[in-house]
Amino acid sequence: MKSIKKHINIFIMLMIVSHSCSSDDSNFIAESEYTSVNNLPAPQFGGQGQPASGPFTKFDFSSGSITTNEINWDIGFRGTTIIVNGGESMGTLDEPTRNGNAAVYIVNDIFSNVLQVEAGLFVQDSSSSYAINIGSGNGWYNYTGSPEHLILPIPGRVLVFRTRDSGYAKVEILSYYYDAPENPNALTDQSRFYTFNYVYQSDSSQINF
Amino acid sequence: MQVQDSTSIKELEEIILSATRTERNLSSLPFPVTLINKKSIKSANSIRLSDILEEQTGLLMVPDYGGVEGVQIQGLDSQYSLVLLDGVPLIGRTAGTLDLDRITVGNIKQIEVVKGPSSSLYGSEALAGVINIVTEDPSPGFGGNVNLRSGSFSTSDISSELSFKKNKVGIYAFVNSFSSEGYDLTTNDDTRTVEPYRNYTINTKTQYNFSENMLMFFSGRVYRQDQANRISSNITGESEIDEWNIHSKFEIKFNNDISSQFEFYDTYYHAKEYLNYGSGDLFSSNSFKQRLTRPEIRTIFKFSSKNSIISGLGLQKESLQRSDFFGSPEFRSSYFYSQFEHKKDDSLNFILGARYDNHNEYSSQLSPKLAAFIKINDKIVLKPSISSGFKTPDFRQLYLYFTNSTLGYTVLGYNAVTSVIPEMESNGEISSLFVDLNSFTNDLKAESSVGYNFGFNFKLNSKLKFDFNLFRNEIFNLIDTRIIAQKTNGQSVFSYYNLNEIYTQGIEITTNFVLNNRTSLSAGYQLLYAKDKAAQRSFRNGEVFARLTPTSPSFVLNERDYFGLFNRSRHMFNFNLSYSIPKWQFEGNVRGTYRSKFGLYDSNGNGYLDKYDDFVEGYSILDLSLNKIFQENFKISLGIDNFLDFKDYQNIGNIPGRIFYGLAQLNF
Repeated sequence: MKSIKKHINIFIMLMIVSHSCSSDDSNFIAESEYTSVNNLPAPQFGGQGQPASGPFTKFDFSSGSITTNEINWDIGFRGTTIIVNGGESMGTLDEPTRNGNAAVYIVNDIFSNVLQVEAGLFVQDSSSSYAINIGSGNGWYNYTGSPEHLILPIPGRVLVFRTRDSGYAKVEILSYYYDAPENPNALTDQSRFYTFNYVYQSDSSQINF
Repeated sequence: MQVQDSTSIKELEEIILSATRTERNLSSLPFPVTLINKKSIKSANSIRLSDILEEQTGLLMVPDYGGVEGVQIQGLDSQYSLVLLDGVPLIGRTAGTLDLDRITVGNIKQIEVVKGPSSSLYGSEALAGVINIVTEDPSPGFGGNVNLRSGSFSTSDISSELSFKKNKVGIYAFVNSFSSEGYDLTTNDDTRTVEPYRNYTINTKTQYNFSENMLMFFSGRVYRQDQANRISSNITGESEIDEWNIHSKFEIKFNNDISSQFEFYDTYYHAKEYLNYGSGDLFSSNSFKQRLTRPEIRTIFKFSSKNSIISGLGLQKESLQRSDFFGSPEFRSSYFYSQFEHKKDDSLNFILGARYDNHNEYSSQLSPKLAAFIKINDKIVLKPSISSGFKTPDFRQLYLYFTNSTLGYTVLGYNAVTSVIPEMESNGEISSLFVDLNSFTNDLKAESSVGYNFGFNFKLNSKLKFDFNLFRNEIFNLIDTRIIAQKTNGQSVFSYYNLNEIYTQGIEITTNFVLNNRTSLSAGYQLLYAKDKAAQRSFRNGEVFARLTPTSPSFVLNERDYFGLFNRSRHMFNFNLSYSIPKWQFEGNVRGTYRSKFGLYDSNGNGYLDKYDDFVEGYSILDLSLNKIFQENFKISLGIDNFLDFKDYQNIGNIPGRIFYGLAQLNF
């Protein structure tokens, strides 16, 4: 009961953390503005030996919010799995069909250093694997194993997305636990709540962030 | 049992058996060996092997899965140390670690710890070091003792030795019973950190001297342990260990120069456990049955007063039946070793040896060793050595076929992959495969190492001496796990592979200081760097990042930020301060160990242990004991182990807290 109530109360807070309203277009090294998303819920049913199921939480970069729209979404979250709206479904239970042109690649760098999109690196989901590989160390997180059992975002992993309509976004995931606690505890902190920063570039002719 | 009354460092020659497989003086051995004699064991009032090993320089007891304790030597995990009982190996590593709590010290004459690789004599597993437990032999006449120790956590240890030797016949018998209610470091759950248990050890030895030149020896040992098993208040059961060893030897001395030993060893280890629901229905059960049989012949040939050779030839058969296994595998191997020793004089000797192991499941191994003893003068001795070690993949790494029933992931032994994966694919369990199955047709390689040791002994005078040993171990083909496939249930399939290269290096210093005729101090220190080479490269290339808090920006780490492997402490320190009053037959001692901070897991997500991770703080353990002998034959001791009552329920499961005990021993 408690957890259901918590789910209802959850809303996505958007904060513009910093403005650098630089009108000087040539100076793209200037500190760019980024947006933070806190506590994006990514529930999952099954797992633990059973097939994973339940709807993915879909996110739309152009509106900067969660959406239930079957078409106008860019990326989806379920448990530790992140999918893109591009390519093919792996056919797991409740997995949405892809109808956009979204794709992703992962860079190993400091978020503010990722300034340009490398179009040649994009990968889409396929019927055999997701573009963001699952498993500890393969994609965006490390799993600490026994006895801590923590899912920790790998620092320095930046996800660069092409959105469904060929815009771009870079994303840095910060936490998988509710309210992004400093020292998460897998037994007491609620998991499957993403906190991440992103920069969105809607102009497909621009490859700079 | 004699209470220490020496006023200077014992000049008596101490004999080591395991370092060269011949009786050899400790003082002229060209490589690092720690000898723990019966007197030290008795004065510390130890009961299990782990109690006394943890007080030695450079040795660290670390807990492993299932409440067992193994030893870390020169920064290498316990699975890389070979444990011998009178020169033959103990088995029963259910999860890689051989549990040293299994071994009672009641019948131990001395413990020899050879550091650095010794595969040139002992083959597989002798990679970080060899621990040889030398048990008591029959001594002339009739004698014996009864020994009782009782203490906190309802521990009670009872043992008795009986020995008889007359003319040609010698008989020795030993019985030990140990029980404990275990202990609980967390109070908020239904299980105990260590559940109550009870174990028995029975050992007999028979010797028959046909003549001065012909000796027959037979030893049998039985061990049994029963322990409660519990994962929640209503899922309970039992676990059981049964072990036996049969060791027989026939020694013949053909003449003054040639002697041979024919040895036959057979051992069996069976661990089983079950858990039932409150209703009595079975929840789970497990069994692990291992057997090792090994005949060996060795010959010692002294072809001049300065040169000798020892050579050995052996066959080994090892089998394992275990739950969650792919088949019932059997290993067969044959081996040959030879070691040449040249002793120029008391100030120079060297050893050159090698062993060849031929195995039915993986490529053969050649393990050489070269060591020298150079006495510069009466104060300084140098001992450089280089040797190689290896550890063959164990049964688990080759044949495991285990699916976790609650989480649904699967772990496959390397040799099981090519058969099991196609089967899982045809059952529709695999959604994607990340590896080429053809790459599993080559054998998984043995983990191997090269060890360099440079000993430097400095004896200032008869009251003060220092032993330094610089060491470096390079390990290749370390076996690790990786994900090889994804299952349709979203979980992964793991298997084993050769990848990592690690090294451990450091320095070990021990010192002995006799303050006066009543007080003596020994102390030791180890400095250790244990690192993964690939990790070090990633740090050097600026590929590793960290964040101070989850919401602060990430930054690049450099090579200096890399701490090294998990569960390694940079500094370890130990001391033993002993005070005795000879005329009262009294001795008291304070013993302490310290280990500096260490990391158990990566807390900041980058996959490595770096200086921004959470560390377990360094800690100290202090033990006190008082020993008094009455009328030569009766000893009473009182003691407190872990006087400071250190415990850390989250990170250190093998330290129960303060223990008070009393001990009585009667010799007859």
